[in-house]
Amino acid sequence: MAVFNIKKREIECKIVYYGPGRCGKTSNLEYVFKSYKKQVGGEMVSINTEGDRTLFFDFLPMDLGKIKGCDVRVQLFTVPGQVQYASTRKLVLRGVDGIVFVADSLDVRREKNMLSLKDLQQNLKDYGLNIFKVPLVMQYNKRDLADEGIPIMPIEKMEKDLNRQLKVPSFPASAVKGEGVGKTLQECLKLTLHSLQKQFSWAQ
Amino acid sequence: MTKNIKALLLQAELFRKQGLLGDARKKYKLVEEILLKSDKLPNKQKLLEGLAKKVAALDEDVKAVERAPSTPEMSSHVNELIKKLFSFAEKDKDENDAALEGAIALAKFGQFDGALEEFHKLLQVMSVRVSAAKNILRCHLEMGNPDGAHTQLAQWQGSDLFSPEQFEKVTAFFDEILEKKGLKKEIAQAPGATAEVSVMEEDEEEEFLDISAVAITFDSGPHKGEQVELDVSFQSGNVISLIISSRDEHLIESLKVGVRLDDVHFYSPVAIFRGSGIVSAKTQIKSGPKKGDFSIDIKIESL
Ligand SMILES: Nc1nc2c(ncn2[C@@H]2O[C@H](COP(=O)(O)OP(=O)(O)OP(=O)(O)O)[C@@H](O)[C@H]2O)c(=O)[nH]1
Ligand SMILES: [Mg+2]
Repeated sequence: MAVFNIKKREIECKIVYYGPGRCGKTSNLEYVFKSYKKQVGGEMVSINTEGDRTLFFDFLPMDLGKIKGCDVRVQLFTVPGQVQYASTRKLVLRGVDGIVFVADSLDVRREKNMLSLKDLQQNLKDYGLNIFKVPLVMQYNKRDLADEGIPIMPIEKMEKDLNRQLKVPSFPASAVKGEGVGKTLQECLKLTLHSLQKQFSWAQ
Repeated sequence: MTKNIKALLLQAELFRKQGLLGDARKKYKLVEEILLKSDKLPNKQKLLEGLAKKVAALDEDVKAVERAPSTPEMSSHVNELIKKLFSFAEKDKDENDAALEGAIALAKFGQFDGALEEFHKLLQVMSVRVSAAKNILRCHLEMGNPDGAHTQLAQWQGSDLFSPEQFEKVTAFFDEILEKKGLKKEIAQAPGATAEVSVMEEDEEEEFLDISAVAITFDSGPHKGEQVELDVSFQSGNVISLIISSRDEHLIESLKVGVRLDDVHFYSPVAIFRGSGIVSAKTQIKSGPKKGDFSIDIKIESL
């Protein structure tokens, strides 16, 4: 639910990182915070519990400057991935404009990825949104673990599990190394702003 | 074999480091099984002891996670931020609605003291007075303090803050949640399912088999007698969703809302079931990569 101020020509939108527990959502935001200093518009706020698990959310404001004559501000959020935080997860998703679904490449997390995607679909539905219509990109995270001899799923398998029907843009990534993090976010911003532009037709 | 054990231990260590405690535990247990079965390893006993220590340490981690407070007190700065980020009413339209939403968000995040303070301020505002009062009572209950709620209610009764109708609304609401809470007594709350202001609205979704695909045999229309196999894109309980390409005009035509499908094979991971369903929704996708295609919901009638 972006806020568009016609008089000031400002738009503020919300992007949420979703995915199963420990898949690397917070790591994505941390990397963005460290590496995009120019666009970061304030401190990153993380509300964690034991073992760095997200308890409520992470929040990072970004200021993208003028796009087509409009000041664009973006709020990045992560949800808590742990199953038991279902209610908070849903609350954080409220008013979302674009989504990054972070999937864990570890093969032991296969089912958790699928369950989390289903959970996303249901929560969106409860807010009257359709997962097929909402701006969404997919990220296959922790690709670096292959080098350490840890079994991870091939991209094709993850595509088949998670993206067979959705067919959204997807990116391999390593959030701790920063690989693919920028690309994922850029694509999500592109889709989100495109959809908002249609909604508010601010370019005219 | 030792190579296998090494690989498993490597995984277990990594999972533990990443906080995937359940997965780590499974790998350790697997190593234990292998060790117990083998009688060739010279240092078997020592290995087992080492392993037991690791599992014990892991269990400590799990306990620490379980013990962690689910609603920590947060700085007033963070409280302000939550109020700001989670009030969705348009701020220029009604400041008080926005303030109410912000306060509810605080309560949802378990910040009851901060929330109560806000709600009490909002009691002074006519347009949101009843909502504020209801939420004050909820906060007391969520804090495990029903006496506080009763005291509050008695206090309001003796004041002229509310009109009789308003007070009636508040007490009716209170009775209802008390009753629901009473019913809910047996159900232990999951840790972290905190401060669920909306907990009473939660519906217990029943478990339903996962359906991955369907094969529909049509008994009328252009596909009469044919069996068409389709992938299931999503499922929510007994409703499955299919995406049908805009090119399949005949199929889209056949799957009208309300149409009964009497001969459907449902493919689940355990088995194929024969049953029936009803087309319950049909929407054309308006944007995104699937633009123009149709999303069709089928409600499973019987399996
Ligand atoms: N090797 C590797 N580890 C990663 C990667 N991304 C995240 N991790 C690790 O995975 C663990 C969990 O990362 P987080 O970013 O906290 O995960 P999260 O999705 O925010 O987890 P929740 O808040 O519990 O939902 C941490 O130990 C990270 O260091 C990655 O790309 N590669
Ligand atoms: Mg996190």
